[in-house]
Amino acid sequence: MKTIVEAKQLKKIYGNSGTVFTALDGIDLTIREGEFVGIMGPSGAGKSTLLNVLATIDEVSSGEVTIDGENLLKMNEEDLSAFRRNKLGFIFQDYNLLDTLTVKENILLPLALAKVNTAELERRVIEVADKFGISNLLEKYPYQISGGQKQRTAASRSIIAKPSLILADEPTGALDSKSATDLLETLKELSEEDKATILLVTHDAFAASYCQRVIFIKDGKLFTELVKGNYSRKEFFQKILDVLAAIGGGVDDAL
Amino acid sequence: MTLFDLAKKNVTGNFRSYLLYFLSMIFSVVIYYTFVSFQYSPEVQMGIESSNSLLNIFIGASVILILFVAVFIFYSNSFFTKKRKKEVGLYSLLGMRKKTIGKMLFYENLIMSAAAIVIGIIFGTFLSKLFTMLLLRLLDSAVEVGFGISPEAIINTFIVFLIITLCTSFNAYRLIYRFKLIELFQAEKEGEQTPKASLAPAILAILLIGFSYWLGFQSSSSDMELLLILGLYLVSIVLGTYLLFRFLTIYLLRFAQKRKSSYYRGINIIGISQLLYRINGNARSLTIIALLSAVTISAISVGYSFYYTNEVQAEKDSPFSYAYISSDKEIDGQLDKVITSDSLHPVIGQTEIPVLNVEGEVSNPLLQDYLEEGPVKLVSESTYNKALEILNLDGSVNLSGTEAVGIQPLLTEYSSADYEGHTVTLKTPGSEEKIRFTTMAEDRIIPWSYPDFSVIISDELFKDLAKQLTPIPIASYEVEDEKTTKETFDELNKLTEEGTQLSSYYETYRRGLETAGLNLFVLGFLSLVFLAATGSVIYFKQLTEAHEDKGRYEILHKIGVSKKETSATIRMQTLFVFGLPLIIGMVHGAVILKMCSNIFSALIGTNLTVPIAISVSGYIIIYLFYYLLTINSVKKIVMK
Repeated sequence: MKTIVEAKQLKKIYGNSGTVFTALDGIDLTIREGEFVGIMGPSGAGKSTLLNVLATIDEVSSGEVTIDGENLLKMNEEDLSAFRRNKLGFIFQDYNLLDTLTVKENILLPLALAKVNTAELERRVIEVADKFGISNLLEKYPYQISGGQKQRTAASRSIIAKPSLILADEPTGALDSKSATDLLETLKELSEEDKATILLVTHDAFAASYCQRVIFIKDGKLFTELVKGNYSRKEFFQKILDVLAAIGGGVDDAL
Repeated sequence: MTLFDLAKKNVTGNFRSYLLYFLSMIFSVVIYYTFVSFQYSPEVQMGIESSNSLLNIFIGASVILILFVAVFIFYSNSFFTKKRKKEVGLYSLLGMRKKTIGKMLFYENLIMSAAAIVIGIIFGTFLSKLFTMLLLRLLDSAVEVGFGISPEAIINTFIVFLIITLCTSFNAYRLIYRFKLIELFQAEKEGEQTPKASLAPAILAILLIGFSYWLGFQSSSSDMELLLILGLYLVSIVLGTYLLFRFLTIYLLRFAQKRKSSYYRGINIIGISQLLYRINGNARSLTIIALLSAVTISAISVGYSFYYTNEVQAEKDSPFSYAYISSDKEIDGQLDKVITSDSLHPVIGQTEIPVLNVEGEVSNPLLQDYLEEGPVKLVSESTYNKALEILNLDGSVNLSGTEAVGIQPLLTEYSSADYEGHTVTLKTPGSEEKIRFTTMAEDRIIPWSYPDFSVIISDELFKDLAKQLTPIPIASYEVEDEKTTKETFDELNKLTEEGTQLSSYYETYRRGLETAGLNLFVLGFLSLVFLAATGSVIYFKQLTEAHEDKGRYEILHKIGVSKKETSATIRMQTLFVFGLPLIIGMVHGAVILKMCSNIFSALIGTNLTVPIAISVSGYIIIYLFYYLLTINSVKKIVMK
C-alpha cells in the first residue's frame, strides 16, 4: 500500500539561544493509505506541533516531511496554500466554520477555491452531506445548528475535495458523547470503505480507540505505539488507558 | 491611589488604544479653531463689516462645523467605548462600585479632552496662519499676515468644546449604568445576522431618491418654497440613501449569490458572503460616507467653479477694459489721456458705442418676463461688428430692414430658439416699430446693467430711430493685460467722481475674485474637513472589521487560501465599501450641483465642465489614497 506520510527525524525548537524549548525531538512517522491513526500524549508533548507541521502551517527546525510524495520543505508559500487545498482536509476542535457562509457553502468551499464546475460541485455536496446525515441542514447558518452538526459540517468540508490526508485535531473535544460516537463511526467508515487516510490527534482514549493504530508521544519523542489488530474496540480502549497511565499526566486528561 | 490617579494611569498606560480617540478630538479642535481664528482675523473682520453675505457664509460654515465636530467626536467616542466595554465590565466584576467606575470614566474623558483642546489650539494657531496665507494667495493679494493669537477664537473654541466634552464625559459616566454586566462582556461578540432581502424598503429607497432628484430639478418662486423644497430634499435623500444601503445592496449581493457559476468560483464566495454579513452594520457608515462625499464634491465644485468662471464672467460682464458714458468733452478728454498714456497697458482698440434705450414688448412671454418694464437697449449692426473686431471675437452680424439679433442676457440660459421668429414692438414717442429676431448672439459689448436686454438692429433702422431719440454714447477701450490695470483704474475713478459712470474689466474681475476666493476658501476648508472625516470613518470602520475578521482569515489560511487570494478578496471587499458610496455620492453630488447652479446666479449660463471635472478628480485621487491605505492596513492586520 502507498505511503501517504513519511516524516523523518522531525525537530522543532522554539525560542532563542537563551531559553530553548524543544517541542519535537526527532520524531519518525509513517502513515499508509487508508490508515486511521491516532496520536496521543500528555499536554505539551508536542501533539499540536506535530499536527501543525503536517498541516504545513508550521515549519520544522530540522528533519524531512513528505506527504503524498511531495516534500513539504521544498515548497514556497503559494505552493503550500495549493497543497493544503488539494491534498489536506481539516477537522478542528472548534469547528472553524465560517459564520458568514451557510452549511452548504462551508462544505463546498474547498471545491469553490479549486474552481470545480458548479454541477460537479453541487453533486459532491449532496453526496458528502448525505454521508454525514446533514442533508436537511444545507441552507442553515452555523449559528443555527448544534455543535455535533457543526462538526459534521466541518468533517464534510474536510473530505469533499478527496484529500490525501485528513487531519483531525481533537474533533470530539467539544461534543457530547452521542455526537462524538456518531462522528467517530463515520470517520472509521471513511477509512475502511473509502480508503481515506486519517490522522487523529486527541486526549480522549475513547476517541483513540476507534483508530487502527495509536502513537504515543512524550516530551517531543515517540513513547510507544499500539496497534488494534484483532482486539475488540473495548479491549483496545483498555490498552490505551494502560499506556496513558504509564506515560503519566495523560490519564487525568483522558478521564 | 485616588480615583483620579487611576484614571490618569489608565490614560497614560493604555495610550495606544486611547490614541485614536485622542487624535480625532485633537483633529476636531484644530479644524474648528483654525476656522474660528480665521474668522476673527482683522483681514476677514474688515471684509465682514462691509459685506453681509460674507458674514452669513461664516456663520453658516461655523454652524456646520460645530454640528460636524459634535457628531464626529460622538462617533469616535462610541467607537472608543465599544472597545472598552470589557475593561469596564472587569472593574465591575472585581467589585468596584458603579459610581466609582462612572466617575473614573468621567475623569478620564475630561483629562483627554482638556489635553486635546490645548494641543489642538496650539496646532491650530500654526495652521490658521498657513490657511490665511493660502487665502490671500487665492485672492491675489499682497497683504502681509501677522502671526497672531486670537483671544476671541480661543474663548470661542474653548466654550464649544467644553460643552461637547461635558456631554461626552457624562456619556462615559453613564456607560456602566446603561448596560448589564453580561452585555459589557459580550460587546465584541454582538453578532450580525445575514440579512434577508425585502422588497418594499428597496423600492421605497429608489422612490425616495428619485423624489429627491425630482425636487432638485424643481424651480421655486419664493424663498419659502425654496426652503420647503430644500427641507423635503434633505429628508428624502438621507432616508433614501440609508434604505438604499440597507436594503437595495442586499438585493445586489443576493443576486451575485444566485449566479452560482461565478459565486462558487474561487474566493468570490468569501467576499460576497462577508459583505452581505456586514450590510446591516455597515448601512449607516455607508450612508454617512455617501452623503459626505456628495456634499464635499458639490461644495468644492461650486467653490472652484466660482473661482474658475470669474474670469469668464468678468469678460462677459465688462467686455471692454474701460467703458464710460461720454458726456462732457473736457472730462472725456482727461479720461482718454489717462487711458492712452498708460504705457504698460497699450490700447488695442477704442470705439464709441451709441445705445438707444427704447420701451418695448417682446412676443415671447419668457423674454417679456425677463424684460418686464425695462428698456430694450438697441445697438446698430456696424457698431456691434466693430466692437467684436476690437475684442477679437467672431460672430459678426449682417442685417437689413426690420431684422434683428438678440444678445444673450448675462446670467441666463436663453438660446436662439427663444428668439428666432419672435418680434419686439418698439414704442418711440412718435411711432411703433416692429422688429423680428432672426437669431441670438452670445457676445455682449456693453457693460452690464439690469435688465440686460440688448438687441442689434440694422444700420438704417438705427439711423431712423436716432432721429426721434438721443443715443447714449458709451466710450469703450480695450487694452492689453487688462487684469492689472489697478493704477489707471484708480486714477480714472478719481476723475469720474462727479457722476460719470465708469465700468472697468479690472474692477469687475477683482470684485468677483474676492468673493470667489473667499467662497473657494470657505467651501474648500469645509470640503477638506468632510474629506478627512469621510476617510477616517471608513478607515477606522474597516480596521475594526479587520480585527473581527482575523479569525475567519486564519481558517481560510488553514484550508489553503493563498496570500494572493486573500489580498484579492480584501481588495474586492474594500472596493465595494469605498466604491459604492463614492458612486452614489457622485450622483447625489451632480444633482446638488444642478440645484446650486440654479440658486447661484453667477453660475448660470456658464460651462462648468472643466472646474467640476478638476474638483471631482481631485476628490477621487485623495479618496483613492484612503482606499490604498485601508487595504494596506487591513492586510497587515489580517495576514500578520
